[in-house]
Amino acid sequence: MSNVLEVTNLSITFDTPRGNLRAVNDATIALEQGESIGVVGESGSGKTVLSRAIMGLLPGTATRTGSIKYMGKEISDLPEKELRELWGTGMAMIFQDPMTTLNPVRRIGSQLTESLTVRLKLSKKEAHEQAIELLRRVRIPDPEGMMRKFPYQLSGGMRQRIMIAIAVSCKPELLFADEPTTALDVTVQAQVLELLTELRKEFNMAMILVTHDLGVVAGHTDKIAVMYAGDVVEMAATRELFTNMKMPYTEALLKSIPRLETPTGTRLPVIEGRLPDPTKNEPGCPFANRCPYVADKCRAEKPPLKDTGNGHLYRCWFPIGGEK
Amino acid sequence: MAGSGKAHMRPDGDRILEVNDLTVEFNLGRGKVVKAVSGISLDLIRGETLAIVGESGCGKSTLGKAILQLPKPTSGSVNFLSKELTTMNKHDLREMRPAMQMIFQDPISSLDPRLPVSEVLAEPLRVWNRGNEVEINEKIDELLRAANLDPAVVRDRRSYEFSGGQCQRISIARALALDPTMIICDEPVSALDVSVQAQILNLLQDMKDRYGLTLIFISHDLAVVKAVSTRVMVMYLGKVCEVAPPDDVYLRTRHHYTKALVGSVPIPDPDRKISAGLMQGEPPSTIDPPSGCRFRTRCPAATEQCANEEPQLREVAVGHFVACHHPLEA
Amino acid sequence: MFKNFWKKPLGFKFATLWLFFVVFITVTYDLFPFVKWDRISDMSQGDGPFKVPGHFLGTSYDGLDMFTALMHGARMSTFVAVVSVVVGGGIGSILGITAAYYRGTYDKIMSSMFNMMLAIPNLVMSLALISVLANGNNSHPATNTRRLIVLTISLTIVIIPILGRIARSSTLQWSSREFVLASKSIGTKNLQIIKSHIVPNVAPAILAIGFFAVGVVMIAEGSLSILGIGIPGGASWGSLLAIGRANLEYAPHEVYLPVLCIAFTVISTNYFGDYIRANLDKRESKI
Repeated sequence: MSNVLEVTNLSITFDTPRGNLRAVNDATIALEQGESIGVVGESGSGKTVLSRAIMGLLPGTATRTGSIKYMGKEISDLPEKELRELWGTGMAMIFQDPMTTLNPVRRIGSQLTESLTVRLKLSKKEAHEQAIELLRRVRIPDPEGMMRKFPYQLSGGMRQRIMIAIAVSCKPELLFADEPTTALDVTVQAQVLELLTELRKEFNMAMILVTHDLGVVAGHTDKIAVMYAGDVVEMAATRELFTNMKMPYTEALLKSIPRLETPTGTRLPVIEGRLPDPTKNEPGCPFANRCPYVADKCRAEKPPLKDTGNGHLYRCWFPIGGEK
Repeated sequence: MAGSGKAHMRPDGDRILEVNDLTVEFNLGRGKVVKAVSGISLDLIRGETLAIVGESGCGKSTLGKAILQLPKPTSGSVNFLSKELTTMNKHDLREMRPAMQMIFQDPISSLDPRLPVSEVLAEPLRVWNRGNEVEINEKIDELLRAANLDPAVVRDRRSYEFSGGQCQRISIARALALDPTMIICDEPVSALDVSVQAQILNLLQDMKDRYGLTLIFISHDLAVVKAVSTRVMVMYLGKVCEVAPPDDVYLRTRHHYTKALVGSVPIPDPDRKISAGLMQGEPPSTIDPPSGCRFRTRCPAATEQCANEEPQLREVAVGHFVACHHPLEA
Repeated sequence: MFKNFWKKPLGFKFATLWLFFVVFITVTYDLFPFVKWDRISDMSQGDGPFKVPGHFLGTSYDGLDMFTALMHGARMSTFVAVVSVVVGGGIGSILGITAAYYRGTYDKIMSSMFNMMLAIPNLVMSLALISVLANGNNSHPATNTRRLIVLTISLTIVIIPILGRIARSSTLQWSSREFVLASKSIGTKNLQIIKSHIVPNVAPAILAIGFFAVGVVMIAEGSLSILGIGIPGGASWGSLLAIGRANLEYAPHEVYLPVLCIAFTVISTNYFGDYIRANLDKRESKI
């Protein structure tokens, strides 16, 4: 199985008035065809910058080093014209706020058929029929009626489904979902995530799911990359990550999430302290000032990426449960 | 679901708030009316934390603001500390405000970006003449420290220089400035990162214990709600579905909507799959809600009775009330 | 804003210096011995700039010193422009801010009123007002003062809805922010909220457009003067233009010098307006 996506040693810095801001440090991720990876992190972790970098959507103030290969071909320095060719046919994206990605003054139908006629070179009639079929596929009631509606007439969940329909219309190899359900209600979120998983399996699409919610990735991804302060601090197959967690950060994150199972009235464990300043290059592990297991070595030297032996990567001098 | 009723009211308790048949409707013109809150009754016993849970459009935020008369509800009564708020004149209502405060969802937008934090906190103290400038400054420092913020660092900065969590702390400090009796928290942690949520929830709990507050906690996140509340009220499309202690809502769910809500919460455990099959579709419009039980269009157990008759809240276990014609088995 | 003055871009320095100069003359004209220079020269008539000693910007065809005439004209042009924008902006802002804050019927009435006022063409209105209220002997000083007042009033009326709408739309944005609701829940009175929360946040937008408006009014005054209904007698730059029109062939500097003055002023005020707006955008993007 060839790799759909190979990101190697990707580092991204921004030139800001306060200095050089390191948003992503040395990230390496690989995705096989049909595989899905969840990129989890909080604000400031670099997950959004990473996904935008892979998509090719970074602003001009960013400096990028490292390589991004899509289907074996280097795309990190492609001119925008060629990148655009890729978007829609090979790589598709859905974002958090469908209102800003959908054109508010055009009908749904025309937005759907546009990508079909432009990319797949279908005739208008064929595109129209395919669009209706797509709407049916994403479980929109009354697809014919929907074609004539405008985005403002729809709820968030509906709009997100339309986004998904547009995204998969050209059967892409790779789907980016950047916080696709963060703005949705929890019942709608569950439906949209299930829909994404179904479509992924049907079209054998690889997917990068960027989110801050560990619960969302737990049920819908094959593997997970946890990011903190610009580093990929842990990466493993989903079940392996949850059962054999190595990083104190991942453990602390998991513990601080309010759960339905927690008895009422328990005080939630909290990660004290704050993110390190991304403009300063301080030695040691970036999580050191907040880690409950911190030791002197952690403050002095930044831990390298290590492997447990079965593809579970982590960055810690004293991982939970030892080095295996 | 979507019913009304007063079975869950507790007339014998030490109630600081009693809301009866509260209705909030917005006129959109051309005969269209948004029925955001329809005939809801609730009460608050001193010292408890009542959580109001529901998804967007259920009216929970509108309910919270209507209790504070911001703006006045369309009809119904709100009795706070034995005074009827809905019929008060502007001046008397204003006098009641220090006792009932609010914390908002968007931490950054709830602070005036032009003002330094010291001014933000000074405003309530100056409006109500709580001392001279020296005393006010001392109180500001005290409030900041109570919210786990360092006054020296924070005082002269503006809201956009802070993270969401810090802004929310400042909002909490502001809400405490007038020594309120009741604080309505409108989705206070929804806009925050997961690890920061825990900090703020703990802070709210600490403040509640320290200052003897009574809280109304509005949220769409059942898990968050369960961690902090003593009583939970589930809302749907302007009506109440279920009222119960948090454990009962989760472990002994009796309402179909609550069950769907519980089932949709993403669980950070790869072995536990969510079953989204429990509920499909989207909530109907609040302009033209379904007759009878408003949840019947998405309920797996709906019958004709549900279309004809609006269910009323009734007690199904001690302290556990459901508005449903065919509640789930215990 | 004026910190590090010398480090600012060239445009900023030019604009500030020019505007400072203009305002300075407007304010201090009567105090200085300029009046002494305002004499008709027998020696020179219609010579261009730098040609005649003692009149470094030349003289008009009738022998008046151009430099003095321009300074004299600065006064009136500035007065009309600044007063109409300040008064019009003040009234418009009050109406616009209160309309957007309180909403309801009052807002509907205000918006309709603004729209109606905007629909009236300012040139036609000024013509009508002046011909009715300030008609009379052109050289009688009382008529001139009346003309000046009516002209200023008509331009003020033009400015009210322009800045009023800016104030209204900006207030609509800001009053829906949660911190306004927070102040209400604290018990702050509405007037206090408007004063301490709305006005400071809305002011930059109004100021920015206000600066543009000064330039617009100055040009409008010039147009009105050319049409003959502005300020007569060469008392403003527009008026000088109107008079100089006749002598364009022989003494073109009578036309291009006032034009340059107006142009520089408009460029400077536009620059300031842009500058304020750019700073405003920067601040907004942080939020």
